[in-house]
Amino acid sequence: MSADESELRELRLSVREFMAAKSPEEAVRKLMESEPRFDPAVWAQAADQLRLPGLVIPEEYGGDGFGLVELGVVMEEMGRALLCAPFFATVVLAAQALLASGDSEACARHLPGIAAGRTTATLAVAEEGGSWDPALISARAVPDGNGGWRLSGRKSFVIDGTTADLILVIARTVAGPSLFAVDRTAGGVAAEALETLDATRAMARLTFDSVPATPVGPDGLGGRIMARVLDIASVGLAAEQAGGARTCLEMSADHARTRQQFGRPIGSFQAVKHKCADMLVQVELAEASAREAARLAAADAPDFPVAAAVAHACCSRAYMFATMENIQVHGGIGFTWEHPAHLYFRRAKSSQLLFGGPAIYHERLLDRLGI
Amino acid sequence: MDYDTQDFAAEARRFLDAHAERAPDRTAVTWGEGDDSMAYFSSLPPEQETEQVRRAREWQRVRHENGFGWITGPHEYGGRGLTPVHDLLYDAVESEYEVPDTGVLSVVGLGMIGPTILAHAQPHIKERWLPAMYRGDAVACQLFSEPGAGSDLASVATRAVRAGDDWVLNGQKVWTSVAQHSQIGLALTRTNPNAPKHKGITAFLVPMDAPGVEVRPLRQMTGGADFNEVFLTDVRVPDDHRLGEVDGGWTVALTTLMNERNTVGSEGAGPVAAALSPDHLSALMRATWTWDDRALRGRLAELLVDAMATGYLNARAQRTLRAGAAPGPERSVAKLMYGQNLTCAAHFVSECLGPRIIADTGQWGTYAWSELLLATPALRILGGTEEIMKNILAERVLGLPKEARA
Repeated sequence: MSADESELRELRLSVREFMAAKSPEEAVRKLMESEPRFDPAVWAQAADQLRLPGLVIPEEYGGDGFGLVELGVVMEEMGRALLCAPFFATVVLAAQALLASGDSEACARHLPGIAAGRTTATLAVAEEGGSWDPALISARAVPDGNGGWRLSGRKSFVIDGTTADLILVIARTVAGPSLFAVDRTAGGVAAEALETLDATRAMARLTFDSVPATPVGPDGLGGRIMARVLDIASVGLAAEQAGGARTCLEMSADHARTRQQFGRPIGSFQAVKHKCADMLVQVELAEASAREAARLAAADAPDFPVAAAVAHACCSRAYMFATMENIQVHGGIGFTWEHPAHLYFRRAKSSQLLFGGPAIYHERLLDRLGI
Repeated sequence: MDYDTQDFAAEARRFLDAHAERAPDRTAVTWGEGDDSMAYFSSLPPEQETEQVRRAREWQRVRHENGFGWITGPHEYGGRGLTPVHDLLYDAVESEYEVPDTGVLSVVGLGMIGPTILAHAQPHIKERWLPAMYRGDAVACQLFSEPGAGSDLASVATRAVRAGDDWVLNGQKVWTSVAQHSQIGLALTRTNPNAPKHKGITAFLVPMDAPGVEVRPLRQMTGGADFNEVFLTDVRVPDDHRLGEVDGGWTVALTTLMNERNTVGSEGAGPVAAALSPDHLSALMRATWTWDDRALRGRLAELLVDAMATGYLNARAQRTLRAGAAPGPERSVAKLMYGQNLTCAAHFVSECLGPRIIADTGQWGTYAWSELLLATPALRILGGTEEIMKNILAERVLGLPKEARA
């Protein structure tokens, strides 16, 4: 299913209105210092009023069956507002991992709850080093002798790791990296909240001590699932980054239009003007690359993986650039705790490195281009 | 105009199949084979250049006879009366074929001067020149810049003084592409030195064979001479060759400049396409044994990210246009990025090549890059400098206040 232009505009408008009402700056600041780092009432409203958790979940599993284009619109708006919610971990990581596994039984078990907003979930991949390289997975799963599996090991940088009801874990079996589902209430699961550079995105270290785990998808195919999830998550993240970068640009332009120094608006100085123009260039490239990748995904185009890698790199850089220049345009005001500029800076840096960072995603792009 | 784009594309394909060969994919090079030219500007010997202009005109005539000479132009002047979408579509289809490069006609004349004549000239001037231009009979150039008026174009000092039914023009123009091949030039002149500078300018269509017009080639840092200086000494131009009102030439200039931005941002084919092609650049890294250089690989990735994102931006602008909406700032951003991308590519490649780009050993695909390298400074200046483009983005798109200007 895919929305036409006017439906996309409508979707954008309703999500933007929701964000304005439910995720103003005061709410973000309150949530980033609370536990859990999201408001369950707002999450329930996002599910009931806007059906956001089910947006990209297929209709057969209780969702609305939209694709990455629609997801991109929602992520852009969430990125603009720095929404604190389990959306990224639940919908973009966990639900996509379930879908990528091709395991219809697991999908039927978990996705309807996710689509309805009842279940939150996450995907635990990276370990101490933060890498998403399947070769570096050391968590292990072994058969328990009764037809079940036991999973042991440690995962880090797990988004919403202390709150997610369902934890999908990449662990190594004899066959290779594989995907497993773990119930957070199962015995042997320990979650420790991590202090995070970006306080609006909660992360945890999870320890699994011989925890009962259910295989999701074929044994040993975790690497393929990771690659697919990474592409989709990169594009979702890219949209979020593009949205955040756009907000920083608007903040800077507003400030440059109104802030007076030396008897005139600072935006009339060419040095400031060009800073804002450079931000605009980056934001336009970011939006174009994120939206093009989403479009190619929706069309199931063969060059989607390349476009996903381009979007990931382009939007990571654009967001970081926009948040840095935004502080510069604001001068000392931009460096204060009270000003929201640092919240975006923190989100931008954290997002840039979430899946490994420039050296990693540059090589991934070259690899996909056959270079 | 409701001519279905599918039918139109099919018609274009039939025309091109009948008149041209399919083009080889320039980006899928086999290392060491074929032409290794990386020239952005042509630096042909005069006789070859004249031949190129002849072929360009001939191809334009063939296009015109088959209904593709002026796709968006009005019927009364030999146009097809279709939309910019059809225009883009034709370009896309034609790019799959090997046809003569018609840049000498299309970039300035048909892309910028034609629309300006259509918007501002008197009827008999339109009848005289528009069909001729789009049929390939007449080449046009833009007599705008002067030694003292580059980015600050409203400072033009070339004088035009009324003399009965004529005007007498005196002054010097510079950076004039294709002046040596042109039959007409669109000149900005000062007709009222006492008015504020934007309000004392008048535009004229100058026959380039009029007595007193002298064209001198201007050699640029690439070694070639794509530009010219044009000296106007007591050149008499009839009043009916005036475009727009007396002292109202700035409006005319803006029409041209608007079309210039649309024209310049859309380049990207030709020999330099290979400069941003992943296959070509990776082949070059293999050939220069820089394949494993981590720093260079990182830079290559950054370069390709920008080049591909710029491509997505252009694709988005075209889709917006096809949907019947006005594109946003994509074209201006793409123009800025195009210059930067080629500049980055040229410097990236020169690091791979090392000394092989500073002296010609005769090795395929190495010293040839010096042609692009030496052209890159121009890409940040032509069609509006980077600085002017950024001012435009900041003021028109972001609504920042104008800088205090005289």
